[in-house]
Amino acid sequence: MVAVIERGVLPTQAEFHEAITRRADRWYAACLRITRNPELAEDAVQEALLSAWDKRSQFQQDARLETWIHRIAINAALQLIRKNRPGVFEPLEEDLADHDSSPVTDMENLDLSDLLAKAMRHLSDFERVCFVLKHLEQWRLTEIADELNSNVSRVKQGLFRGVKKLRGSMPDIRSL
Amino acid sequence: MNDDTLTLYFYKDGLTPAERRDVQSALDNDAELRERYARITTTLAQFDVTDSAPLPADMLARFHDSIDRAARSEQQRASKLPPQTRWSPFAWGSAVAAALVLGIGIGLFAQRDQVPAPGINTGIVTIYPPAPRATSVAFERGLQVYLRDSQQELSGQPMNTERSAIALQLIRQNRLFERAAEEHNSKDLARVLRAFEPILLRLAADDISEREAEALQAQLAFELKVMLTKLGRNLSEETGPI
Repeated sequence: MVAVIERGVLPTQAEFHEAITRRADRWYAACLRITRNPELAEDAVQEALLSAWDKRSQFQQDARLETWIHRIAINAALQLIRKNRPGVFEPLEEDLADHDSSPVTDMENLDLSDLLAKAMRHLSDFERVCFVLKHLEQWRLTEIADELNSNVSRVKQGLFRGVKKLRGSMPDIRSL
Repeated sequence: MNDDTLTLYFYKDGLTPAERRDVQSALDNDAELRERYARITTTLAQFDVTDSAPLPADMLARFHDSIDRAARSEQQRASKLPPQTRWSPFAWGSAVAAALVLGIGIGLFAQRDQVPAPGINTGIVTIYPPAPRATSVAFERGLQVYLRDSQQELSGQPMNTERSAIALQLIRQNRLFERAAEEHNSKDLARVLRAFEPILLRLAADDISEREAEALQAQLAFELKVMLTKLGRNLSEETGPI
C-alpha cells in the first residue's frame, strides 16, 4: 500500500479529460482485443474511467495516468467477459480451436488489422487472452496467471497453443 | 530445443537464468536453430499491432461525460452534510471534533501572542498571516490528536451503516484542517490532507461494497499512521515528547 503522504497531488478532472482525448482509442482497442465485442469494450473503458476516478488517491505520481487507466481497462475487460461467460478462462485440456463465431463474426467493426483479427479467430478465449496479455500488453506470465485465476504452467500452454495457431494461420492470411 | 522454449526466450519470461543461458548458447552454436528462431520472431513481429482507429465522436463524448458525472456526483456527496443530531451516539465523532477545536484553538492562542498583524475573519476561525514555528508546533500537535483519534477509530471498529455520515463528517473536519494548514503556510501538509478527501468521498458513496469500504478504511488508517509517525518525528525533533 502506498501512502498518500508520499505522493502529493492527485490527478485532476482536467488531466482525466486530457488522458481520454489522448488515449481512449488505445484503451478501447486493447479492450476490444480482449473481449472481441464492441459493446463490452466500451463498457470496460467506462468502468475503468469511473474506477480510476474513484481510486485516484491510489495513483502514483511517478506513473503515467493513461498507462494506469489502460491497465485498469484491461482488468475491467477481463472481468466483463468472465461475468458474461463464466468459465471462459478455464483452459481446455485438448488443443481445441474455438470455432464459436460469437460475439463478433464479421470483424467489420474491429479496429485491429485484418491480419491479427482473422488469425485471432482461430484461438480459444483462453489462448487469445494469454496471447494478447503477453504479446501486446507485455504482462508477466505470473501476472496473467493471477488475473485469470490460473497458474503459470497453464498460461504457458495457452500461450504456446495460441502462438502455434497464429503461426499456422499465417499462410492463409498472406494469401488473402 | 522446441519452439515453446524459443517462444519463452523471445518473450524474456518464463525461463530461469540458466535456461536462458542454455538457449543463448544453443543459438550461438546452431545455425539451423537460429533460422528456426528467426522464423518465430518474424511471425510474432507481425502481430505487433497496437495501433487503433479514432473513436466515434459520440463514444469519446460518453467517456468524457462519465468523468464529469463522477466528479459532479462526488461534489454533491461532499456538499450534503449530515444532521448534527446523528453524531451524538458516536463518541469518536465528538472526540475528533474536540481535537479539531483543540488544534485550531492552540494555533490561534499562540498566534494571538505572537502575531500582531490584522487577521481575516472566515466565519469559523480568524486566520492570521503565516505563523512562526512555535505556532506551527501547536497546530501540528492539535492535528496529531485529530489524526490519532481518527486512525484509532478507523482501525478499531467497522463503520457499516453509518459509514457515509461519518465519512462526510470527516471530510468537513479534514477541510478545516486543510485550510488551517494552508494559512499556517504548511503547503505540504495541506496537500496531504487534500489527498485524503477522495478516499473519504468514496467511503461516503452509496454504491461502495463492504469489501471496498474495508479496504479503504484500512488504507486510510494506514495513511493516518504514516502521517502521525512523520508528525511525531518532526515534533519530537523540535520540542521533545508531548
